[in-house]
Amino acid sequence: MAAVSNSVARTIETLYGEHHTWLQGWLRRRLGSASDAADLAQDTFVRLLTRPASRGFGSFLEARSYLRTAANGMCIDLWRRREVEQAWLQTLATWPESYAPSPEHRAIVIETLLEIGNMLSRLSQKAATAFVMAQVDGTGYRDIARELSVSERMVQKYVAQAMLQCALIDAGLDG
Amino acid sequence: MSAEHLDPALRLGDHLVSASGTNADFASLEQAAEWYALFRGARATEQDHQAWQTWLRERPEHAKAWLHIESVSKRFDPLRAGGREAALVGVRVARKGAVSRRRVLGGMGAMFGVGALGWLAWRHTAMPDILLAWAADHRTGVGERRELQLADGSRVWLNTDSALDVDYQDGIRRLRLLAGEILVDTARDLARRPFYVDTRFGRMQALGTRFAVRLTDDQTRLDVFDGAVAIRNVAGVTLRVEAGQQAHFDADATALDGAADRAREAWSRGVVLADNLPLKVLVDELGRYQRGHIGVAPEVADMTVMGVYPVDDLDRALAMLTRTLPIRVQRPLPWWTTIGAR
Repeated sequence: MAAVSNSVARTIETLYGEHHTWLQGWLRRRLGSASDAADLAQDTFVRLLTRPASRGFGSFLEARSYLRTAANGMCIDLWRRREVEQAWLQTLATWPESYAPSPEHRAIVIETLLEIGNMLSRLSQKAATAFVMAQVDGTGYRDIARELSVSERMVQKYVAQAMLQCALIDAGLDG
Repeated sequence: MSAEHLDPALRLGDHLVSASGTNADFASLEQAAEWYALFRGARATEQDHQAWQTWLRERPEHAKAWLHIESVSKRFDPLRAGGREAALVGVRVARKGAVSRRRVLGGMGAMFGVGALGWLAWRHTAMPDILLAWAADHRTGVGERRELQLADGSRVWLNTDSALDVDYQDGIRRLRLLAGEILVDTARDLARRPFYVDTRFGRMQALGTRFAVRLTDDQTRLDVFDGAVAIRNVAGVTLRVEAGQQAHFDADATALDGAADRAREAWSRGVVLADNLPLKVLVDELGRYQRGHIGVAPEVADMTVMGVYPVDDLDRALAMLTRTLPIRVQRPLPWWTTIGAR
């Protein structure tokens, strides 16, 4: 963020003055939580600093429309994160062994799940499942094949497919 | 296969200087993914390894592609502690969300003049490697060993390429071995809290004791040197292992194997013990402390070896072996060592 120029910072300051209260109110109605709304409103403006769109807007309405879209995306992110977190924690709780992750570890896990979910979103459910099984606890192809009712050969294909999809994204070649 | 599951011979580590500056292309990534899937299964042969090495050196794009594969593989590390089921459910829910999210981002991308994935990439770059390292409380790299002193005075040694979580609470002392190997020397606890070591295959309770635990892809191995350890695996099968005994267990079964192996605590002193060990087994053990490939030709693999070898000085260990055995060591590349007949 060091590269933010003075003029951009001034533009943001103006935008912040004109829209922050409105945006936070809009978010609060949508999220039903004042503290979540405050966080996301902050995030929305921070993001303006790091995006080229902060050249400025043609009009007051254009700025609002942009902010609303950006904030809406952030709400969806937040809901998705909570949904993933809940699913993960619920499954953990049904596991006989007591495993209580620290808040930091939990945050890292949720971030990792979201990232991997994105990377694997274009694959079939079976390919994604095979890959996660192989990656998380090193389940052998034979066991994966049995569980998914496919051949071992197919499991190897799934793993290659999934790895390629992820590696393309990692290498910035997927768009 | 995440980093811990990845065969050390398949890890490039710092040997990739030549690849910096190049970018992987689609074809290279496709081939790298194929290699990965092959090695992740159990059917890769020595010929496959050699073909892979040749492929790797063929073009810098290949090495670069392999680095991307390694990087993807490592991202799964934080999920391991919670186990497979939780990870599967989490990814399933995250995948579902990702679809609707992309739709929203279509509009956003147009506004920013960037693709949806460019946007996502930005959202997620904020997860630096340093965060990933937090996933385990203690972690050692290949060739690294560490001694830990725990709050109650218990001592734990982490062997090469290992990861351990330490969880001391009011009523319980609990270690969770996520990867690799530990040697534990428990201290008497004033609060009389039980001392547990957990792996994904089950739980071990120390009953006043010194013992070594090694976690591999398919089982946990336990060597007890002092006192006793009670095992309870995921399926609920129990087994008591006394001093001088060795046992192993996986999620389904537990079994005693015979006498405890002194070599399983020798590493904490920086040495590998060979007491009539086949050369191949000794070299595999030394290989755990090295990046790169060490191959042993079949005609010398079964020669038996005696002696004490340093874990952190492969050159010296190999020189010692060359003096006593009719073998020849060749190293065409820094990370490629082969041992054959003289």
